Parts: sequence; structure tokens; C-alpha cells
Amino acid sequence: MTFRGSILVVLVFGVIQLRAQSLEYRFSLVDEGTLNKVRIETPLNYNNQILPQSSESNITAANLFLGYGGFMTSLNFNALTDNLKIPEYEYTIRELSLDLSLTDELDITIGKKILKWGPGYAFNPTGVAEPQRSPSDPSDRLGRNEGRKLATITAFFGRSSLTFVYINDVRYESSKLYWSEQEFALRAYTFINGFDLSLIGHYKEGGRFKAGLNWAKVIGSSLELHGEVLLKKGSSTQYHRAIIIDNEQRIFAANPYATLFNQSKRIFYKILLGGQYTFENGINIVLEYYHDAEGLNKLEWKRWMKFIKFHNSIQQGSITADPVLIEASRLNILWALQTLSPRGTMSDYIFIRQYYSTGSWSFEFIQFLNAQDFSAVIIPSADLAISEHVSFYSRLTSFIGGSDSEFGALFNSCYLNIGIRFQL
Amino acid sequence: MNSKLLKIFYAALITVFAYEVQAQSIAAREKKPGNAERLTADEILHLSDYSRNGWDTYFVRTTIQNFEDNKLKEEGVFDVSIKGTDKTLVKFLNADVKGQYLLMVDDDMWIYMPNTRKPIRITPLQRLMGNASNGDVARTRYAQDYTALFKREENIDGIPCFVLELNAKRDGSTYIKIDYWITKTTLRPQKAEIYLTSGKHYKTIHFDVYKEIRGRMLLTQLTITDRLREGRTTIMKYSGYTQKEIPEKYFNKDYLGKLR
Repeated sequence: MTFRGSILVVLVFGVIQLRAQSLEYRFSLVDEGTLNKVRIETPLNYNNQILPQSSESNITAANLFLGYGGFMTSLNFNALTDNLKIPEYEYTIRELSLDLSLTDELDITIGKKILKWGPGYAFNPTGVAEPQRSPSDPSDRLGRNEGRKLATITAFFGRSSLTFVYINDVRYESSKLYWSEQEFALRAYTFINGFDLSLIGHYKEGGRFKAGLNWAKVIGSSLELHGEVLLKKGSSTQYHRAIIIDNEQRIFAANPYATLFNQSKRIFYKILLGGQYTFENGINIVLEYYHDAEGLNKLEWKRWMKFIKFHNSIQQGSITADPVLIEASRLNILWALQTLSPRGTMSDYIFIRQYYSTGSWSFEFIQFLNAQDFSAVIIPSADLAISEHVSFYSRLTSFIGGSDSEFGALFNSCYLNIGIRFQL
Repeated sequence: MNSKLLKIFYAALITVFAYEVQAQSIAAREKKPGNAERLTADEILHLSDYSRNGWDTYFVRTTIQNFEDNKLKEEGVFDVSIKGTDKTLVKFLNADVKGQYLLMVDDDMWIYMPNTRKPIRITPLQRLMGNASNGDVARTRYAQDYTALFKREENIDGIPCFVLELNAKRDGSTYIKIDYWITKTTLRPQKAEIYLTSGKHYKTIHFDVYKEIRGRMLLTQLTITDRLREGRTTIMKYSGYTQKEIPEKYFNKDYLGKLR
């Protein structure tokens, strides 16, 4: 069958299944103001000049979800203002897909969609087909996560299912399609003896085959335990060359990143162990430990920080250099900052979340702890629902730790978000 | 008849009567008097479930109202689809939780959060809303979850009831122990007192209103009173009972993201 023929078959199935369906919609409008205490003294961002951080900002985010039969779309519109730049507007199609039931046991999905596969709360190493996200905002309060462009076929067998996914983050720009690397993923899920159990395989063109499994189990009426593990041979992750040897006094003339373990036979693994417990008074606690063998170890982090500090000294003027070298040094800091990841740069993390709701009030306390240098992000928040349509929230995010630590060296020491949310 | 024979006759009569009384007492513990004379406690429990569940596979809209000191604090509306004795799917309809689904298969529960597009495994104690636990909405067939023991008979508001003690069959049951009042004549639930593992009296449920719906008397309202937090009550109302076929895959965790 030709490509056009396949599209036609899909559309015919779609039209048949759209009949007699009702429109489902959700709409939310969030306005969030942020006050930010910038960390002027950090070597990562000398005097707030390398990557200037705003001290005040505001975002208005509108999210619209429409579902009609198997068709669904999720649209996001953002208006951002801060004290440094002119207002920016963003429009994103977060999801746009068509789910079709070929039979009672067989479904296909085509389009842009968010697929979540792991049971982890803050970390999902087996979420090989899902968008990147931050452990400090697991609920994606502003609706900024985007789906991937994919086609899936899922077969359901009672309490089991088998899903095959083809992913290609193709872009359409200037009347032309730009195909990306192809990705293939397979998941076999079953529910057996109270265990949610999934086996996962993933391959990306030019990358390494990854295999993993995840599970979840409830014990008694209060305790849930879960875990995920993902393995691969070698790593295509790019590392800054400064982490390899103790020689921080270097200025790179070209992009200093390289795949250090691409040909390695070493097994790289990501592992998550976690659980949640609900107390009789309704307080819920989530605890997770995450290890990522591709993250930096303490020595590598120390070398990276020394490299940053060397270039910070050039920026400060405590090491004299001519203007060309100062600019090259600034560029080196910008390159080095690409090592940082909102999901954590090092290899061991602990995530804790306490949650309590009294009805109209709900309280959440998140602690995201680097288990190697003991720096942390702590986020207490409170949410007050005035009605089912309107709520207010406040959220204080503090980055604490030593000046050489991951979170203690970040650009901001704390920020406060205050928001209002309207929902339909 | 001489007096000796008369004494033997009376002795025999007393023995038989005593035996009959003892036998009836044992029967009262194991089988029940009244119309349900020949039913065991488990059978009474099983029959009482019929007035909380219209058909094998059906849909019902459930409204939950939470009160604090007699003031309405919040109201939640849910579409509940039940298939067989072990599968329940709850769709959340309020604006602040729209798009959420709760899936329960046997004792196991998942909640699908539309923000994160993710089904999360949850425990039975996690609350749906106010005093109503997930199990209060999703698990309405107590005979599946509890074994029953006959405790006594008692009048509630002048209505004669059997009092059963229900004990969880499995760790995953919503509650560990329930004292359950079932009317003798109609075998409908009248009241439940729920206890925590610690032995604390947790909730009292009054099954307030039954209505005839398509030839069946079905529960349309119950009230939950929180015994740990003074002044908190929850009213659950059931409407729109509809017998309906629901595809099996709707009760697969992987399908939650496709539901509308």
C-alpha cells in the first residue's frame, strides 16, 4: 500500500470512529509572577553577566485540551515578561494525535503525543519515549512538556499489553520536512500477582540499544513500592573534556564536548528505587533514590568546577588576560554550562515529597537532594482552591549547599512563584 | 400415665427442648433467623450487595459532597463504570480534576493524571475526596472483599437488622474491619462502622435512601461521618444507573491515556 493509501485508510477509520462521540475539553489559564534572588557570587555566572538572570518575571500560560473520539490535541500559549527582555510569546502544539481502535484488542496512535512508561514519581529512566522533564516540577504545573512525533501500535491481552513505537522528531520549516534520527521502542506490560511489570527496549539510529524493566507493587493499604532500571553498553552522552584530567587552566578554541564512552564495553545503567506511604491522617510521602551511571562522579564534578573557577578568575580580572582571551574564556564558561541538566548533572539523587490536603488547602514539600555533595533544592508550596475553577498558589524554591556544590553554585539562591489558576 | 412415666416424658421433652434451643443458638450464629433463616452471614452480605450494584456491568454518576460543621465545603462529580465484580473505572468531572481517571482492578488501583499523562499506582488509603476513600467509590461489592461473621440482631431507627462483622479477605481491601448493619426484611445495608488496623473507629456510613430504578431497589444516597475529625461528613449520591457494555481494554492501565 502506498503512503497516501495508508493515510486514506487511517482517515476512513478515524471518521468512522468519530461518529456519535462527544467533545471533551479542558482549559486552564495560569498567571504566575516570580521574584528571583540572583546568586551574584557564583563562579558559574560571574556578576550575573554570563547568562543574565532576571530578578522579576511573569508568565501567563493558557492550555487547551480538546478530545473528540480518538482525536486529541493539547495547545499551549505562553506570554513571558521579565525585567531584562521585551515580552515574548510562544505557541506550542504540545500534542496532536489520532487514536484508532482497529479491534477491541488492537489500537494504533499517530501524531505528536506524550507517552509515559515509568512508575517513578520524579525520575523515569525507563521513560525512553517521553519528553525531558524536571524533578523539581513533576506535575508540570505550567503544562510545558511536549509530546514526541510518533506512531504506535498496541495489542491488549486482558491485563497485559504489547506496544511498538516508532519515533521521529521530524520538523517542518520553510515548506520543507526535516527528518530526525529514527527511534524504535517496544514495551511488554503485564499485571501479575499484584505487580505492574514492564519490559522495555529502545534503539535510536546511531545510538545504543537500551533495555530495561520497571515495576510497581502495593503492599497493604498504605505502602506502594516501585523501581526502574535501564541498561546499555557504552554511552553516546557528550562530556566536557575538562572532566577527564586535572588541568583546569585551559581555554578551548572549539566545542569541548566529546563522546568519551561511545566504543566502550562498559555497561551504563540508570536505576530508580522508590515508594510512597499514606498515613491514616492523609499525609502522603514519596521517597525515591536515583542513580545514573552517565552522571558525573565527585572527581569529575570537582574538575569541572575547577575549570569554571579558572575562567571565573579571568572574568573577575584576578588572572590578567587580553580582551580576546577574556571573550574566549566567557565562551568557555557558556560551553561548560551545557553540562548542567535540570534533571541533575551528577549520578546520585534522593527525592522526597510530602503532601497533605485539607480540601480547599493543599500543601506540598519537595526536597531534591544531591546524594554526593549534599546540596539540595527544597520547595515548599501551598495551594488554595477558592472553587473548582479558581485557585491560588505560592511556591518557594531554594537552592542550598556549599559554593562548590551542584545546587549551591546555581545561578539563583531562591525564587518565589505566586500564581492564580483558572480552569474550565 | 403414671408419675414416673410422666417424669421421663418431661425429662425427654426438656432434653429435646434444650437441645433444640442450643441448636437454634448455634444456627443463629452460623445461619440467620427471620426471612434469611437459612442464609449464612456471607450469603447475607452477598445479597446485600445487590442493592448497591444494579447489574453486572453498569454505569452510575456519583456526586460527593463534603461538609464541615454542616457547611458544604466542596462537591465532586464522578462517572463510575463497573464491570463484573472486580473492575471499576472512575472518571473525574470537576474542572480542577477534569481528565483524571481512577482505575481499580481487584484490590489494585491506578490514578491517571492528565497533567503528567501518567498512570500512577496508588494505595487504597489515598483519598478521592474528603472522607470518601477511593474504595468507597470504587468497591461496592463487599462480598468480594470481606468475610462476614454474624454478631447479633439490633434495631436501627426501629428497623430490625442483622449486625455482621466484616473482616478483610486480603491486604489490599479498602478497610480492615467493618461492623455492618443489614435490614432483616429487605437485606439492604443500613449502617456501617469502619475501623482502622489500630482499632480506632474511623468512619460511620449511613445508607440513607433507596429508590426503585428499572425494577430494582438501589442505593441512591449514603452519608459518611468522620469519627477521627469532628464535624466532617460526606454525602454520596448515585444517579443515572445504566446497564452498559464496557470493552475489557478500558480496564487495562495502558488504556487510561486514550480514554476521553
